[in-house]
Amino acid sequence: MKILISLLILSTILAGCIQKEIVDDVNLETGAAYDYTDGKIRGTALVPVYLSDKTVENKTFSSSSNLSRDFLRDVQRQSSDPLVSGSLKVVLFGERLAKEKGILDLIDSFQRDPSIGARLYLAVTEGDSKAVINGSYGERGNAIYLSNLIRHNMNSKDVPKTDLQRFLFDFNQKGKTPYLPRIKKLNKKAVEISGLSFFRYGHVVDTIPPDKMFYFKLLVDKYSKGTLKVNLGKDAAAIESIRSNYKMNLVSRKPLKVNIRIKVKAILNEYSGIRVTPKKIKMIEKKLEEEIEVECLKLTKRFQSKNIDPVGFGHFIKSKTRKFNYSKWEADYRYLKMNVQADVTITESGVID
Amino acid sequence: MEPLIPEKAKISPFLVFFLVHTMQFGIGILGFQRLIALTAGYDAWISVIIAGLSIHVILWMMYRILDTVNGDIMSANSYVFGKKVGRLITLPYVLYFLCVALTTLRTFIEVVQVWMFQDMSTFWYAFAFCVLAIYIIFGGFRIVTGIAFFGVVLPSYLIFTFFFTFPYADLRNLLPVFDHSIKDLVKAAYQMSLTYLGYEVLLFFYPFIKDPQKSKKWAHFGVFFTTILYTAITIITFSYFSEGQLQKNIWATLTIWKVVEMPFVERFEYIGIANWNIVILPNLCIALWCGSRILKRAVHLKQKYGVLLLTTIVLITINFFKTREQINTLISYTGKISFFLNYVYIPLLFILVLIVKKVKK
Repeated sequence: MKILISLLILSTILAGCIQKEIVDDVNLETGAAYDYTDGKIRGTALVPVYLSDKTVENKTFSSSSNLSRDFLRDVQRQSSDPLVSGSLKVVLFGERLAKEKGILDLIDSFQRDPSIGARLYLAVTEGDSKAVINGSYGERGNAIYLSNLIRHNMNSKDVPKTDLQRFLFDFNQKGKTPYLPRIKKLNKKAVEISGLSFFRYGHVVDTIPPDKMFYFKLLVDKYSKGTLKVNLGKDAAAIESIRSNYKMNLVSRKPLKVNIRIKVKAILNEYSGIRVTPKKIKMIEKKLEEEIEVECLKLTKRFQSKNIDPVGFGHFIKSKTRKFNYSKWEADYRYLKMNVQADVTITESGVID
Repeated sequence: MEPLIPEKAKISPFLVFFLVHTMQFGIGILGFQRLIALTAGYDAWISVIIAGLSIHVILWMMYRILDTVNGDIMSANSYVFGKKVGRLITLPYVLYFLCVALTTLRTFIEVVQVWMFQDMSTFWYAFAFCVLAIYIIFGGFRIVTGIAFFGVVLPSYLIFTFFFTFPYADLRNLLPVFDHSIKDLVKAAYQMSLTYLGYEVLLFFYPFIKDPQKSKKWAHFGVFFTTILYTAITIITFSYFSEGQLQKNIWATLTIWKVVEMPFVERFEYIGIANWNIVILPNLCIALWCGSRILKRAVHLKQKYGVLLLTTIVLITINFFKTREQINTLISYTGKISFFLNYVYIPLLFILVLIVKKVKK
């Protein structure tokens, strides 16, 4: 028994001889930015440095290399403590990189690394991503600012939900293509989400402006919240969607025709007219329905002409077809007919009428 | 004829549920989804159910065999083949349980090495684990059963972590149902056999059950529970990953944990994998216990020495498996052996026992 106990103690001690990572002794990489310059990928790692007066300094390390995560090795030579990527929150891709080089190699390394979470936010920047990550936003560091910015816009505003998991899901799903939000630097202390970029094989092929984002969100997200504005002659109204749902229906196979039914439950936020009457509400609803139908159809037509499928029509038709042939679908996609049917219900008009 | 097991060393019938379930639920769960999806696509969840149902038939046969001979598998073998041959035929089970112990331990250490500590020593970790297992087995079968009980109850909260995938789930992935041929489905069910293995331990601890007749429903319930869990996890995985994405992930279940985010813990895998120690521990203990039990019954080696011998072999051989490929080969061989033992040998023995019973009458 004595031998057993001493063995137990010995083995516990010996098995503990491994690399330690103590929070105070490492540099936590919370954000990363990638650019394509001079035929190489330039990576920038963002490390928050917590100062004694409770402020956060945004320290960045940059290095160029051919392999994506390889830059970390070079960056290690600039960093006093080992850089670890366990709490990576946001990754930005420069416009040139996303358009010309593609982001697939980079995505691979995020997928491979066990320490990187699935809720990592990805975004494309307008211009250089290094410039964006080098600003100074908020008081809790850039990475937290940027990830909170993206999160709240996805959860309760117009930006369609996407993160590393959703990006990989869409990318690896046959009959669906991924999309990412775009971030634009306004000045040294401010950024904004300036649209949505659509990918094909890791390259950005199309971008939509922010005012179209909500229509796209209605097509891909269930329970999407967001805001819409309508003009009724001389009056204008702003509504906020509380929840929405979409349902696709395969109407006919020859020719392929898909009907999308979008249901929106909303409240009236603002109205420039004098009084909201039930009749007016009906009018606003009608107008909104028209607008959603027109805009969504426009978007889907646009995707078709660019040969991308972020809505996932291919995947939807696959789920309705036995022995689905993807290569045939790729040729057929151009001829797919779509119809959008919207159903808007305004339930409340605030505390006044 | 049979060595009598003292009443105080026996276990209550309902504990069979934990023994059977914990032995089934081990290392396979971490990454079985990819393999079955490769053969049967996203219809593979049907295969999971098929494989689970087939076990009930095997389990029924096992109980019939054991009821007839009123002993363990060694008694059954002696009953059919005579004493000497019976012993000889039971001995390969020692090798099988060695394989099971080795696979469980090595795969788990691999998971720890890939997901948490790259430079962790295989040997020393295995050593620590084995010392713990020896300690438990020295306590007797009732202690092993107790560990099995905790191995099910303590980590059971992990089920809730899978709820985090619901916002990401797209059940349309599973449609259209039955898009694959029956042949593919059966093939995938065959591949499930490694994941489901473990219920055969019943053949060895049967004499230790207080009222074996009453344990039947608990054993079936244990298998049924495993089937339900596996089916649920398969469906969750299939709705969370797109097909191409799943094929890239070796440990799909662990990858799911990457999405779990709580205010107090950023990466849940670390807690999950650490907890998995408790899931693995009874597996190792039961496997080693069964192996040493056969040694005791067949060659009259004291169980104490049997356990020490088996762990020594495990500790030596575990060092030979270094890369993912080697480990994968080990896993697939263990799966094949288990399939042979459960789906070929047991039915054969079942028929033989029935015949011999008729003849002896």
